Amino acid sequence: MPDWEAFVRSRIPSSALPPEIYNDVVVELASHLEETQLGATAAGLLEDAIEQIILQEVENWRELAATIERAKSHGARMNHRTRSLWLPALITLLGASLSLTLTQLAGTRPRLVWFAGVGIELYWPWLASLPLFGALGAYLSLRAKGSICARLLAGSSSALVMLTVMGIILPWGLLIDGFHFIRLVSFGIGLVNWVGVPLVALLIGAAPFLRGDARGHEAAKAKV
Amino acid sequence: MTKRINPKIARGSGELAILSLLAEQPLYGFEIAKQIGERTGGALKFTLASLYPLLYEMEKRGWVEGRWQANQAGRDRRYYRLTPTGKRQLAPLREEWRSFFNALDALAGVSHA
Repeated sequence: MPDWEAFVRSRIPSSALPPEIYNDVVVELASHLEETQLGATAAGLLEDAIEQIILQEVENWRELAATIERAKSHGARMNHRTRSLWLPALITLLGASLSLTLTQLAGTRPRLVWFAGVGIELYWPWLASLPLFGALGAYLSLRAKGSICARLLAGSSSALVMLTVMGIILPWGLLIDGFHFIRLVSFGIGLVNWVGVPLVALLIGAAPFLRGDARGHEAAKAKV
Repeated sequence: MTKRINPKIARGSGELAILSLLAEQPLYGFEIAKQIGERTGGALKFTLASLYPLLYEMEKRGWVEGRWQANQAGRDRRYYRLTPTGKRQLAPLREEWRSFFNALDALAGVSHA
């Protein structure tokens, strides 16, 4: 009996749909073809006639692939993006924010660290917790078959949010108070303090989950 | 055997045919196509290419819901069942088709059973 899944895969390209949706479609269409073949065989049809019946099932595979993609893509993409990016990113952000709040509520004072002649205040307990949240975000994204980019963004979301906030604050501050060199320096220190160092901590945790392609991984695990 | 209906005409009736079948019981794709063929005496025939895009479209609209489960032979099949939204579509669709046949009858003398 032909490998119907391989048959369908070779005719419907995988690029546009999330891997789990694509695999479901392949398995479903392959099982339909398999049952069509079994039914025709049981009816006593000869091989040529069976082949004709199978061919009549789909006249234009390219058109079918495009139609299925249209029917499946919108909701699937939305769900996939939510599960592989927004939700893990939100969890990383909430975890990191909660950890900082608890660190401050516990009365922990930031520790001054001198780097290249510049003093940076760091909350060590908070920074120590960040790899955990970076790992959690990247892992959840990987589990939802997120791409490497989605895992990277999910694992580093709290630092990226802070970068966005600071990117809004700086031009606003310059606009209100006017340009001062000291303001730029303090912004640079803040950037290292609240974005650079936390980003490194988050990425340390996320790193183990950034390797490998979720799509390829899923295809290898495809249902048989 | 009943004369097979032109696929272009048949396609329009697909939603009603599928909803009507699934209102009776959950079925997987091949079974849906098979039952439509059998119960219309071969007049309506759904191929893989005409059935699945329609099923997926109906699923996107929330009319049907597909779930993997093993069939009687123990093989995994994606069974489709009607959702509450799908159930609500059935009566208006039937009415729409009834009106369509009445209109066609009045115009072209095409009576329906």
